Amino acid sequence: MSALLNKRLARSLWRTKLRLSAVILMVFVGVFAGVTFGGYAYNLGGMYDTMQADDEGGANLADLWIDNRSAAWTPEQVNTFCDALGAAWDSSTVSQSLDSCEGRSVTQGAMFHTNDTGEHIINSLWHGIPDGANADRVWMPKGHSEGRTAIAADEIVIDAHVTEALELSLGDTVRIGAGNATADFTLVGMGYHPLHVIMAPEGTLFPPESGEYVVGYLSDAGMARLTGEVIGISNIIMLDVEGTPSFDLPDTGEYEGEEIDAVKQLVDAALAESELDARVRDRGQNEPIEVMRQDLKGTERTTVPFTVMIASIAAITIVLSLQRLVQSQAKEIAVLRTLGVKRSSLMTGYLAAPLVIGGIGCALGALAGPVGMNGMLDFYQDLVGVPIVERSVPPSIIGSVVSSTMIVVFLSGAFPAWKASRLDPLAVLSGQNEMRVGSNLLRKLTSWMPTTLGLSIRSSMRKPIRLTMTFIAVGISLMLFGSIQMMSAGLQDTMVGGLEDDQTWDAQVYILPEAEGPVVDWANNNSASYEMIIEMPLGSVSDGDGIDRVFTLVGLDSFDDGMRSVSVLEGGTPTPDAAIPRVMMDEGSMNFLDWKVGDQHTVRLNGAEQDVEIVGTSAAELARTMYFHRDDLSNLLGVNATSIYLEFPSGVAVDSALGEASAGIVERQTLLNGINSLLDQQTQIFQTMMYLGLLFTVVVMFNTMIMNVAERDFELATLRVLGASTRSLGTMLLFESLLIGIIGGIVGVLFAYGGAVGLAASFSSWQFFVPVTIVPSVAWQLMSGVILIAVAMTPFGVWRLRKMDLVEKVKDLSS
Amino acid sequence: MNKLLQMENLERHYETPAGVVKALDGVTFEIYEGERVILLGPSGSGKTTLLNCLSALDSPTGGEYTFTSAKMEEMDQVPRNNSEKMTSFRRENIGYVFQFFNLLQDLTVLENILLIQELAGKKDPARAKELLKLVGLEAETNRFPGEISGGQQQRVAIARSIAKRPTLLLGDELTGNLDTETSNKVMEALVSACKQENITSVFVTHDEGLVKYATRVIRIDSGKIVSDEQTNNDS
Repeated sequence: MSALLNKRLARSLWRTKLRLSAVILMVFVGVFAGVTFGGYAYNLGGMYDTMQADDEGGANLADLWIDNRSAAWTPEQVNTFCDALGAAWDSSTVSQSLDSCEGRSVTQGAMFHTNDTGEHIINSLWHGIPDGANADRVWMPKGHSEGRTAIAADEIVIDAHVTEALELSLGDTVRIGAGNATADFTLVGMGYHPLHVIMAPEGTLFPPESGEYVVGYLSDAGMARLTGEVIGISNIIMLDVEGTPSFDLPDTGEYEGEEIDAVKQLVDAALAESELDARVRDRGQNEPIEVMRQDLKGTERTTVPFTVMIASIAAITIVLSLQRLVQSQAKEIAVLRTLGVKRSSLMTGYLAAPLVIGGIGCALGALAGPVGMNGMLDFYQDLVGVPIVERSVPPSIIGSVVSSTMIVVFLSGAFPAWKASRLDPLAVLSGQNEMRVGSNLLRKLTSWMPTTLGLSIRSSMRKPIRLTMTFIAVGISLMLFGSIQMMSAGLQDTMVGGLEDDQTWDAQVYILPEAEGPVVDWANNNSASYEMIIEMPLGSVSDGDGIDRVFTLVGLDSFDDGMRSVSVLEGGTPTPDAAIPRVMMDEGSMNFLDWKVGDQHTVRLNGAEQDVEIVGTSAAELARTMYFHRDDLSNLLGVNATSIYLEFPSGVAVDSALGEASAGIVERQTLLNGINSLLDQQTQIFQTMMYLGLLFTVVVMFNTMIMNVAERDFELATLRVLGASTRSLGTMLLFESLLIGIIGGIVGVLFAYGGAVGLAASFSSWQFFVPVTIVPSVAWQLMSGVILIAVAMTPFGVWRLRKMDLVEKVKDLSS
Repeated sequence: MNKLLQMENLERHYETPAGVVKALDGVTFEIYEGERVILLGPSGSGKTTLLNCLSALDSPTGGEYTFTSAKMEEMDQVPRNNSEKMTSFRRENIGYVFQFFNLLQDLTVLENILLIQELAGKKDPARAKELLKLVGLEAETNRFPGEISGGQQQRVAIARSIAKRPTLLLGDELTGNLDTETSNKVMEALVSACKQENITSVFVTHDEGLVKYATRVIRIDSGKIVSDEQTNNDS
């Protein structure tokens, strides 16, 4: 008998193929998303470990960087420092040993690249890496790089991020410069470097478009040849300590930097002893490393809420659909119970059915999940430009996703079946179980309306739990879709708005100290306007937790009508020559440090303590920035300018003369293109989720509307028999759809805003500050989208009404 | 009395895998204004099919069904196989009472009546209340159907069915779900309402006990009329 009952159930469920398919689809989507995102987050975790590893295959990322870009330390000075450090180390309590203390030279420059469109002067950075260096080597993973490292004085390795854009091949000759001279080098390799995963010039977070910024790795002899200095001249010293001493992670509330602090104390002592003036940074303070670590963590972190959101939507849809599926069986269950079939015999099938339905969905999802995961990893790999070499899907991820999904499926199928099997057969067969008393509150609220309108509202609210769950599911779906849109709009506003609208310069020309003369001459000769600025990432301050926070110092001559005007959020702009220098700080810094306009604070400028008065807050800054009047900053740092903004008259452009006079050139349009391209790429990462969110909104709304219409067959048929036209009933359905759409839209916008704030908070750190602004067009777009989806369901209801066989319905109504 | 409707040689045949089923097989009769007709017959005799054809829920496969609008004083062919026209015909001419009342649970007793008036474009709250008084439910105006008894619900259904002043009131086993005492109360309410509103009515039942409320009894079996008799009950 049990087999026959199960066969009956299978056939009965098969009659509702559409709903059955919808449940299987949602189970599939839930498991697919879980495995995809779970596997993605798992594999991302090891992405940089492979690159930074201290082994044959890795680049061995240094633990401390000691640098002074305006210095040129001789090999003897470097050796003195390293010896002093070694001696201090031996007598210290630091448990790890010092693996290496190495000096090298890193300098800004330009590449003179000729292609079909002419000669281009590309802003560049050159590393002089001695053969046999221990730390910060070039990373050349097998199968993902070409050639070898540079050894001879005329050899170069170009970063693999840009070789394709520049159409470079091994053996090509490239002409490069470093401030005052140029030289030709032969390309012998294409590889990666752990400090240049993000291909952005120092001091900026924005990588220009591929090929607009070049990093090259020379040998120490090659660097000497390029700069005309002797081999071994250094402006940076790298320390590699055994293992990885813990360093503070700037995005956490705790302080984790005790181990590296012990090393830093030894370094400070050794610097003093060897009379070197330098900045000391650990991995958490080295911006390119920290930015990418946080990017990775942010990406890993967002996979969790996204997975939970997708799983919740899938779970809600599964619960609603499966409950409806089983509840629609109530009459058959009642008949079978009347015929004497035991509850336990009935329940077997109803317990097994969700397992079979869930099993099919889970199997399909688990099979497709790894494909989705690899797709996401490929995408992230393309975005970052660094290969993700090791990939796997841990069975534990598949196991946990499948088991949690099966529990949801089982409970949402078994519970209504259990309830249905306990119904009084007589009550079910006579329709008494469907009798209920309407809501008095709703009656009072809607009594003033036309009766058809009141009925629409009351019908919509008839199943408040289901409606609430629908709104939650729609809200979560739109959180996926809208929060990314809202955050992107905020980012766009912050990153592009200021640069596009407030700044007028055409090119920013970087110069070596005291080397502004040739650039100014060039500007005068070409009738170009110029404005000198100071921009250095040399500010630092201790936050409320005593953690050192690094910020960029910017010195401008004018904040209102200069080539780089600054948008002031609160207060005013700095004026020069006050006893305590007046500064303006960006909104993010003010929030993180809890500073107010009018406060006075002590900060460190290039290591020296300095009191400043905060006179204003600037808006639209992604990076932490303190603005000075240039005269004040020049006096404090002893630097007149670090770069010069140029505004070109018509027909004037960057040429090789300007390139040779500079230590690097950034064009504003190139920067804008790069930022737009970066934003596009970031948006693309989330686009899958955005469209998944939109798809879910459609599915959830469609599911609910179908159930609403299907459940109202009884009253719609009654009204049709009593003479209600399809048009009047269609109007009722349209009003209901509008009502659900409007409420769903409002809920969706609120969820999306909440999601955007949450996302921005998860991305925001000292390095990044992501403001969230409600862009009205995005909010309207979300509202209209949901309303449109809801209203689009009305034709389905009308189609059902037209298709309704009233003779059959009257039989149902009268039996 | 004026003729209200006429069925001539009406057929309703169904194609089934087992062959043609003749639910109605050449039915001919006329109904006059003010009559209270009861269609009596065993299960499967065709009485509900006949009621469905009368209400234009179903389309006959043969014969003619014409309906006289009291106002227009002329015979109109009842539309067939056009759902919207048939609906419109029902809206303008027919009131319907179901066995299981079929009141809308989310609307109060009064609102159930107002809804039908609104859909017919004849909203009249005063008349709705008057009808509730007529069926003895003026005290239940603001209660929901789930809060009143089955007999009371059926009386609301009667008030609802006549609220838009139909020419013809139809009922299918309208006391089938009620006990005898309640059935009598409902039928008395119905007769009273039909008399007061001058509504012609046709009811399908298999309960011989309801004959006392009819002015005419038509018996039907195997799709054919087997007898058609006037009763002595006053009209």
